[in-house]
Amino acid sequence: MMDEPENTDPLKAFFDAGKAARPEPGDALMARIMADADRVQAERAKAPAAVTAPAPVRRGWLERLAQALGGWPAMTGLAAATVAGLWIGVSAPAGLTGMAQDVIAGNDAAYLIDLDPDATFVLADGGM
Amino acid sequence: MPLDEQMSAPDEALLVLYANGDAVAARVLTARLVPRVLAQAQRLLGNRAEAEDVAQEAMLRLWKIAPEWRQGEAKVTTWLYRVTANLCTDRFRKARGVGLDEAPEPEDERPGPAEGLQERARADALQDALDRLPDRQREAVILRHIEELGNPEIAEIMEISVEAVESLVARGKRALAADLSARRDDLGYTDDG
Repeated sequence: MMDEPENTDPLKAFFDAGKAARPEPGDALMARIMADADRVQAERAKAPAAVTAPAPVRRGWLERLAQALGGWPAMTGLAAATVAGLWIGVSAPAGLTGMAQDVIAGNDAAYLIDLDPDATFVLADGGM
Repeated sequence: MPLDEQMSAPDEALLVLYANGDAVAARVLTARLVPRVLAQAQRLLGNRAEAEDVAQEAMLRLWKIAPEWRQGEAKVTTWLYRVTANLCTDRFRKARGVGLDEAPEPEDERPGPAEGLQERARADALQDALDRLPDRQREAVILRHIEELGNPEIAEIMEISVEAVESLVARGKRALAADLSARRDDLGYTDDG
């Protein structure tokens, strides 16, 4: 080691004095530290009870709504339909506006449907 | 475990007992470890009140980590010296500029025989000189020459190599010797050490 031998160390007397003047903890400090130890131990003793009997899980309003509508798969379908409706509303196809006006005005022609001839036959035959 | 057995049990075993709910283990550990933690903190900080806060905080961390303590990985004292030094470093950084001169005087100011006074004056002079050392040198010198730990354990506490510990201690002692030799003449210490 790089230090000089202890018996010739000019600092030895100071280090000896420093060791002798070691500060001793007072009763109040010891009591505070032991109170901490007891508190931490007591908190840990309570912790396993919380694990064995977990509190009921609280669901958020969105999760409860999803459950009511049939779960998340149903919610995705609903979301797709909502987006499609929004898209139709924002950029309506040509003719849709006129047809909507006909329906509102009570024009029966708006209900005429040009069915496929085969479909007409099937309808007449009572096959549907 | 009976109290007399606990008094001789290693720190690590007592910590496991404490984590398992033993009521006595914490008392034995407190009595055994707090004097060392407090002494280290007070020598690093030079302030009794702050040293007591650090000692309480370091012990609180020990209580909290007890369930995760792995036997054989580290000594409790090594871990505790490191935590204490880190807490002191944090406080020292915050306090720097505020002035450690505001530290309260040591409680034991009773007049005593001349020899006792000289011992007291030496201890105070040492503390003053330690306070003027760079943080890492101070920590290394205190652990080596006052706590009397071996260099490998100091290296583990300070998380540096043994060679770096030797270098810090040597530089710290040179600075202390220069500082104290000037004061030795001023205070008229007898050269009996």
